[in-house]
Amino acid sequence: MSHFTLYTYVLSASCYKVRLMAALLGVPYDSVAVNFYPGFEHRSEAMLALNPWGTLPILRAGDLVLTETQAMLGWLATNHDPTGRWYPAADPALGPQVLQWLGLAARLTGSAGLARLHAILDWPVDGEAVRKAALKDLQELELLLTDRVLAGQTWLVGDHPTIADIACFPHAALSPDAGLEHDGFPAIRNWLYAVRSLPGFVTMPGIHELHELREREPADPQ
Amino acid sequence: MPSMPVGLSRDLPPKRVMRASVGGQDIVVWRASNGDIAAWDNRCPHRGMALSHGFVRGNALACLYHGWHYEQSGRCSYIPAHPDLDPPATIHTTRFGVTERDGVIWVDTTDTAKPGMLTEPLDPLRSLIAEVSEAAVEAACHSTPFEGEMPQPSGSGLYALGTIRLALLTNPLGPNRTQVTVLTSPGLSLQTRLALSRWCETLRRNAEATGTGGA
Amino acid sequence: MSLHYASNDWYPVADAACLARGPRKTRLLGTDLEVLGPFDHPVVTDMGGRCFPVQVRYNHLWTTIGDDPRPLFDIPEADEPGRRHVPCGVVRVKCSPLRAVENFLDIAHFPFVHTGILGAEPHTEVAAYKAEIREDVDEVWATNISFYQPQAAKSAAGGITTRYEYRVPAPTAAVLYKTCPPRPEAMDVIAIFVQPRSETDCDVWPWMALYDDTTNFADLAQFQQEIFLQDRSILENQRPVKLPLDPKLEIPTRADMTSIAYRRWLKRRGAYYGALTDQT
Repeated sequence: MSHFTLYTYVLSASCYKVRLMAALLGVPYDSVAVNFYPGFEHRSEAMLALNPWGTLPILRAGDLVLTETQAMLGWLATNHDPTGRWYPAADPALGPQVLQWLGLAARLTGSAGLARLHAILDWPVDGEAVRKAALKDLQELELLLTDRVLAGQTWLVGDHPTIADIACFPHAALSPDAGLEHDGFPAIRNWLYAVRSLPGFVTMPGIHELHELREREPADPQ
Repeated sequence: MPSMPVGLSRDLPPKRVMRASVGGQDIVVWRASNGDIAAWDNRCPHRGMALSHGFVRGNALACLYHGWHYEQSGRCSYIPAHPDLDPPATIHTTRFGVTERDGVIWVDTTDTAKPGMLTEPLDPLRSLIAEVSEAAVEAACHSTPFEGEMPQPSGSGLYALGTIRLALLTNPLGPNRTQVTVLTSPGLSLQTRLALSRWCETLRRNAEATGTGGA
Repeated sequence: MSLHYASNDWYPVADAACLARGPRKTRLLGTDLEVLGPFDHPVVTDMGGRCFPVQVRYNHLWTTIGDDPRPLFDIPEADEPGRRHVPCGVVRVKCSPLRAVENFLDIAHFPFVHTGILGAEPHTEVAAYKAEIREDVDEVWATNISFYQPQAAKSAAGGITTRYEYRVPAPTAAVLYKTCPPRPEAMDVIAIFVQPRSETDCDVWPWMALYDDTTNFADLAQFQQEIFLQDRSILENQRPVKLPLDPKLEIPTRADMTSIAYRRWLKRRGAYYGALTDQT
């Protein structure tokens, strides 16, 4: 049974956040491909009627329409994670930390996300400026993740992955699309690997499957 | 080219792959399931793909492009497009010297790797890249205080920060790019280590703000 | 010399969708160009105001900056009734234009780069096929290729063994004919047209002519964009960046027959723009 409809574009890292969260929680949904590029269909009258901001993704569940990606992650975890671990909203220590990371995730969209769109689709922004901003944001992410490594932790918040990890993962993982390699970011590298190892993980172009995980299966007949 | 520090052992667990650079040579460093480490030219001999994007299966490194497997000797052991073929011994990667000591990975592109000898036991803290010259990093280290005190150099990359001892190992990646590997006195509290990690960040920022051609 | 040869080919520099948004500033073979619409009456000039010839074919606007251009290659299937033409936009890649074409001609990477779509382990074997330089048309052709694909096209319901044929009509263009899931007797046409901005930087325009009346345009275009963006991270990580034509520099196997023929054909034509040769 489908629980929501997602208006989505295959190369969008923001749309991918929602696809990934739904996959990890095992929530089935319908998707509607929107010709974001080359058609700019998200700015069409029909799409603007649904989302006046003219952005993707858009999540519709009955009368509810969400247009902010981070809100969609919160909605998915609140409604479809009975363990409550993916979004510990009521926990006085962890809840605010998750919200802090959702804000930083939005910042990454404005730096690394734009740098990537500029690099692959020649998006009309100052490429050098957004790349510089993205590098700075990745350096801050590396610093905060190093804190976690030194504390013996894997995830951004607490000891279980949360919507904070999913919100920050795509733009960090895709930064090499804009020439921002992970060579100088060992903590980011190992955290990305941990996310990619999660059961139910799905890919998007630029983030390939971990082929090494196949070793867990019995040997293939040749 | 002497042996160079390219990162921390902690940051490369078994079955992981990373990219490094020594003297302009692009290098893949990877760790097999059995824990053994290897450093090769970062290039699959088949179609030139960077092996640092590859994946580890057992004790072989496979290229992401076509899945060619290379065992630890560097020899190609499996070509998925021709599963029944025993690949000729002529297909192999170019290997470099690599060794680990004090939690640091050292690579030598011309000889057996010899780790830099530390004169006292230290613990790895973190490894980072600054977008400035090696000299600018060292200069910034002399002028970046930790908890109000300037680091006092005590020779061969060692510094005293109050009672804390700190080693700054540098690997020049280019005229304006330097990899910095930082080690500290053992047994420090988590709080102190977090503060030192932030000091590294300030050091990088200071170096980049004052260094020649900084970002 | 290599630039002179390349300058006499035609290259895509715009499609209708991009010109609808305004003039396109772009680069071709190191020359900065401006493309002005409308799409059916376009003007292509360099920064000094010199005008270059234009023609509209295969939903793209083509130009050439050479003095003695060769004719633009023909894709006869483009005129067949019932085919849907799908221009997929343009993607920038920091790679040699020739490496972009060679990757398009390669099937052995499907299980690792297009996992679950165009290939999947353990179905990695590439059976023997035929690759040749056809002297009568002076083109590279590869035929009799078949490969197991979990989701060969948007219109495919499940895994099928797909038949492939490749055709290289120009150094920076390649055409693929592949099994059309709804019409097993017909072949879908998928092409890439590469616009070389320089020898190490290109804009790639994927294009399709399909028998598929049911899938919406967004789904079709996104299927192709997904595939091409999976290739992009490979293409930006090959070294040397330029395509080596000396057979000793990279090691091919039987699965690379098409690539071997392509490199040989480039060499004998002197199509060295984007290639690593003794001269460069």
